[in-house]
Amino acid sequence: MAKHVLCVEDNPDNLLLVKRVLEARGYVVLEAKNGSEGLSMAESQKVDLILLDINLPDIDGYEVARRLRASAKHKLVYIPIIAITANALRGDAERALEAGCDVYMSKPISIRELWARVEAFLPTSRIGR
Amino acid sequence: MANEPAIIDGFSFLSELECSGCGEEYSSREIHTFCPACQSPLLANYDLDAVSSQVDRDAIRHRQIGMWRWHELLPVREPRNIMFLGEGDTALLSLPNIGTALGLSNLLMKDESKNPTGSFKARGLAAAISKAKELGIERVIIPTAGNAGGATAAYAARAKIHALIYMPKDTPRANVQESRMAGAEVILVEGLISDAAGMAGEKARAEGWFDLSTFKEPYRVEGKKVMGYELAEALDWILPDVIIYPTGGGTGLVGMWKAFAELEALGWLKNPKRPRMVAVQADGCAPVVRAFRAGASFCDFWINAHTLASGLRVPKSFADALILENLRDSNGIALAVSDAAILEAQRELGRMEGIFAAPEGAATLAALKVLVHQRWVQPEERIVLFNTGSGLKYLDQLDLLV
Repeated sequence: MAKHVLCVEDNPDNLLLVKRVLEARGYVVLEAKNGSEGLSMAESQKVDLILLDINLPDIDGYEVARRLRASAKHKLVYIPIIAITANALRGDAERALEAGCDVYMSKPISIRELWARVEAFLPTSRIGR
Repeated sequence: MANEPAIIDGFSFLSELECSGCGEEYSSREIHTFCPACQSPLLANYDLDAVSSQVDRDAIRHRQIGMWRWHELLPVREPRNIMFLGEGDTALLSLPNIGTALGLSNLLMKDESKNPTGSFKARGLAAAISKAKELGIERVIIPTAGNAGGATAAYAARAKIHALIYMPKDTPRANVQESRMAGAEVILVEGLISDAAGMAGEKARAEGWFDLSTFKEPYRVEGKKVMGYELAEALDWILPDVIIYPTGGGTGLVGMWKAFAELEALGWLKNPKRPRMVAVQADGCAPVVRAFRAGASFCDFWINAHTLASGLRVPKSFADALILENLRDSNGIALAVSDAAILEAQRELGRMEGIFAAPEGAATLAALKVLVHQRWVQPEERIVLFNTGSGLKYLDQLDLLV
C-alpha cells in the first residue's frame, strides 16, 4: 500500500519539485501551504512522513513540529519529520531537532538525498521506478 | 552537447557540464550553478579523445610554470580571460625526519601554502573567477570559513569583478584583512560557514549576485583537480598509494579523484592503480566521518561544529554524496582527529621538518599517525599529505592557545 508523505511548504516551486520526485517513486504526496493546514491534515488524514519547511507564513516549522509531537493522535508523536529550511541561519538545525524533527536538510535540497532520506524512513516496494 | 564544437582553437577542450547526481547535461557556454533538476553539483567534461591525440603529455612540463600549464584540461577558452597570480606548481616535499620517526620510507607533502594568498583556495578561485570573467559575470558572492575569502578577493580584484564575502565572525583575522586589502566587501556573520552560506545564498538570489559557494558553481573543482595532475607528473605518472587530505567542503578530494579518472582516460598513467583517499576531519566537526562509518550516502548536518582548524568547520558539504562515493571507490577511509592532536602535529611539522603548516594541513599528519598505528598504511607505501595553507594565516588563534 502506497505511503503518504505530507509536504508542508509555502513555495509552489519547491512543492512541485518534491511532488514530482516522490510521486515518481510511488509515494502519495499531500500538500499543505502553511503550518495550520499542515497540522489539520496531519490530524485528519493518513500520513506516514512529514516534510516540513521551517519558514512558513503562519506558524513556523518549529512550532508545527512541537504541536505534532504533543498531538493526541498517537501516530504523530513518532511520525518521521524531515525539516527543511532555506536559510541555514544560526541554530536552525539545533532548533529543528529540539522541536522534534528527526532530520534536518537545508535548501537547495538534493533530490538524491531527499529520496534516500524518505526511503530510509519509508522503504518503497520500488513500484513506479 | 552535439551541436556545440568542443574546440575553439585547441586552448581548452571543455565540452559540456554534467550533473553528478542525475547525469543531465548542460551547456558550458552559459552560466550555470548546480543542477536545477536534482540539485546536485555539476562537473565539467572535456573532449579527452581530442586532448589525447593533440596534446603531448611530456611537453606540458616545459610550459610556463603554474596551474594553467594544463589549459587544455581547464575550462577557460580564451587565454586573455586567465587571471594568473602564480597559482599551482607547489612543492612536493619529502618528510624524511617524520618519515623515519614513523617508520615510513616514502612520506611526502604537497605544500599548498606556496600558492597566491597562501592557500590551496587560490587554485579553485583562479579557475572559477577566470571562467566567471569569460562568462561576463560582474558580481560574485562567496561564503567562506576563511582562506577562500582572500583568494576570491585577489582574483576578483585582478578580474575587475566586484566581490562580496560572508565569513563567520571568528574567522582568522588574516583572512578578513587580506580580503579587505584586495578591495572586497566583507560581511562578518554570527555563526558558521553554513550560516554564512545561507545569507550569501539569499543575497545572491535576491540581488542577482553569482554565488561561488563550494560546488554551487562547476569550476572551482577544476582548478583544484590540477593538484592531482601535478602529483601524477611529479611521481612520473604513477599515482601514490595513499593521499591524506583535510576535508571541509571536499573540492580537493573530489577534484583529484576526477583528475585521476581523466588521466586514466587519457592514457597518461603508467599504471591505473589509484590511491586510497583519506578524508581527515576534526573531532568537533566530522560529518563525513560519521556518514562514512554508518555506510550512508549523505551526511547529516553536524550540530555545534567547533575546531581550531577553521577550514574544517563545514557542518555539511553540498558535495557530501560525491565525497563519500569517491572515498568508497578508492577503498579509502574517513577519520577525525582532535584539536590537541592537530596542534601537536603542527609543532612536529615545524620542529622536525621546518614547515609551518595550517592546522588543516597538520591534521593530515595527526591522521597519518593513527593510520600507522592501525597499520592501515604500510612502511614502504608512498604516502602524500596535503598542507592546504600557511600557518601564518592563523597567528591569532595560536596566540590564544600558547
